[in-house]
Amino acid sequence: MSVAEVEVREVQLEAVGGGLWREALHRLVRNPGAIVGALIVATFVFVAVFAPLLAPYDPREQNLALVAEGCCPGPSRAYPLGVDDLGRDELSRIIYGARFSLLIGIVSVTVGLTFGLLLGSIAGYFRRLDSPIMRVMDIMLAIPGFLMAIGIAALLGPGLLSVMIAIGVVNVPIFTRLMRGSILGQRENDYVLAARAVGVPGRKILASHILPNAVSPVIVAGTLALATAIIDAAGLGFLGLGPQDPATPEWGTMLTDTVRYLQTAPFLAIFPGVAIVIVVMGFNLIGDGLREALDPKLRGRA
Amino acid sequence: MLRFTVRRLLLLVPILLGLSILVFLWVRALPGSPAESLLGERADEQSIAQIREQLGLDDPLYVQYWRYLETLAEGNLGTSIATRRPVTTEIRERFPATVELTVAAGIFAILLGIPLGFFAAKRHGGIFDNSSLVLSLIGVSIPIFFLGIILKWIFAVRLGWLPSIGRQDVFIEAEHPTGFYVLDGVLTGNWRAAWDALEHLVLPAIALGSIPLALISRITRASVLDVQNEDYVRTARAKGLPSRVVDSRHVFRNAMLPVSTVIGLQVGLLLSGAILTETVFAFPGIGTWLQEAIQNRDYPVLQGGILFVAVIVVVVNLLVDLSYGLLNPRIRLAGR
Repeated sequence: MSVAEVEVREVQLEAVGGGLWREALHRLVRNPGAIVGALIVATFVFVAVFAPLLAPYDPREQNLALVAEGCCPGPSRAYPLGVDDLGRDELSRIIYGARFSLLIGIVSVTVGLTFGLLLGSIAGYFRRLDSPIMRVMDIMLAIPGFLMAIGIAALLGPGLLSVMIAIGVVNVPIFTRLMRGSILGQRENDYVLAARAVGVPGRKILASHILPNAVSPVIVAGTLALATAIIDAAGLGFLGLGPQDPATPEWGTMLTDTVRYLQTAPFLAIFPGVAIVIVVMGFNLIGDGLREALDPKLRGRA
Repeated sequence: MLRFTVRRLLLLVPILLGLSILVFLWVRALPGSPAESLLGERADEQSIAQIREQLGLDDPLYVQYWRYLETLAEGNLGTSIATRRPVTTEIRERFPATVELTVAAGIFAILLGIPLGFFAAKRHGGIFDNSSLVLSLIGVSIPIFFLGIILKWIFAVRLGWLPSIGRQDVFIEAEHPTGFYVLDGVLTGNWRAAWDALEHLVLPAIALGSIPLALISRITRASVLDVQNEDYVRTARAKGLPSRVVDSRHVFRNAMLPVSTVIGLQVGLLLSGAILTETVFAFPGIGTWLQEAIQNRDYPVLQGGILFVAVIVVVVNLLVDLSYGLLNPRIRLAGR
């Protein structure tokens, strides 16, 4: 075994040991904010997955007798969060609504991430393609994200799918720019040069040095993008671009008509709204915690 | 500085062209051809063919795009399907309301956000600091329209302190030479109208300004914390300058550079957020106009409105960029 090979082995050992990740996890579990965020998100995912078991009623079941005396009866023992203008159980609708927010968040961020990472890596590696890709991204970034989402969703027509596509497309330039910047920055780093100098093959440098370091800002941005996606999806729903099927309770769409009943039934606006705020806050807390945990400048201070 | 300005202005050209291409293709991709949407669903084949020829829809795409650019250059954004009026006329009527709202929200966010962030950093780790962090977390997590609904419920419906919809009470007679109602009231000496318009602005401006407020105070706090540890600040303190002077002359000034960047970036957020805020408060600006267009599938309005708002954002961002050059010589030199 030559000296160079031994060194390769050593360099690899360090990388595979995952010092960065283990340390990051260590820091993450000591961050109270991140713990609270993780608990919120875990509860949210649990509620979304087991909605049919948790919801006391069918979210579509109308009970017009309940609203015969006007909209709407507030919280009671039978209906803990009251009923809406069609006599549907508000709690069950919020529980089912978690499914949509989760689905929209995950799908749209995955779409944005996939295309963004692909385009960003291409732009970062192939210098000839860098400029054309990035100019298109600049133009997309010049339009305010929510405005572009409205344009795309209006184009595709209201619905679950168009909301996911709209928000996903808005995310593409954000991740593209992030990934490209990250890769360009990593390529010039001293430790990459050092690894190359001791003869680590290019593929290994990419896999064990560049990508892990380039990916951590993407993880942070991805978590925060989930928060934004849920807010934007609710906004599109509020504007009437969300799922139009009256049977599918999307949180933003649930808020649309409530403005009319603000005088008599403010709880109809408050409960779904609070649900959005709590979930978004959960993702924001995790994102902030991850940012601190993955910051290489803070390494060794665990 | 001149070279820097020219460079930035030249960068504007491809972005504007790209925007126009996106908006042009957007219309082509719409379900149903423009001819059908003009004539309605029950149009017969013949009149559709006639309109197609009139509109030049059978020409190659680049010819159509060129024609679209020509009409844009004439300042023509098309005609609203719902009202049959030129889109530009409607923008002219609607835009002042949105500008008024956006400016009010921006002022609210800046005037409150910078001092909040500054004092939070000065009392780093204290109760004030921690509660400002929690507040700003809520601020970035709350959807604007939900905050708007809550504010409306508390201050308009329950307490009745402030009006809940519109820009002006219907019983107030006022002239509107500029379209900015508060300014109009002041200019015409109609103080009652000015005060009334201001009252109508309060709740929407707070709702719209909340996210920028949270971001500005967070950045101010982080930036002040950073600058406080700089060598020149320590030197200033070591040579015995009173801490008030160090704060205002060294810390505050340098800490404001990243803050000004963040403030500049808020313009797009404010304008797109205005769509939701205006909808909650039935505030008759660009936002409610676009929201109605979504409901009516009024595509010329959506096309013209989105292009207009995007161009405004691009131009304002350019102006912000140029002003950094004035604020910070380092940027100016780096731009060469």
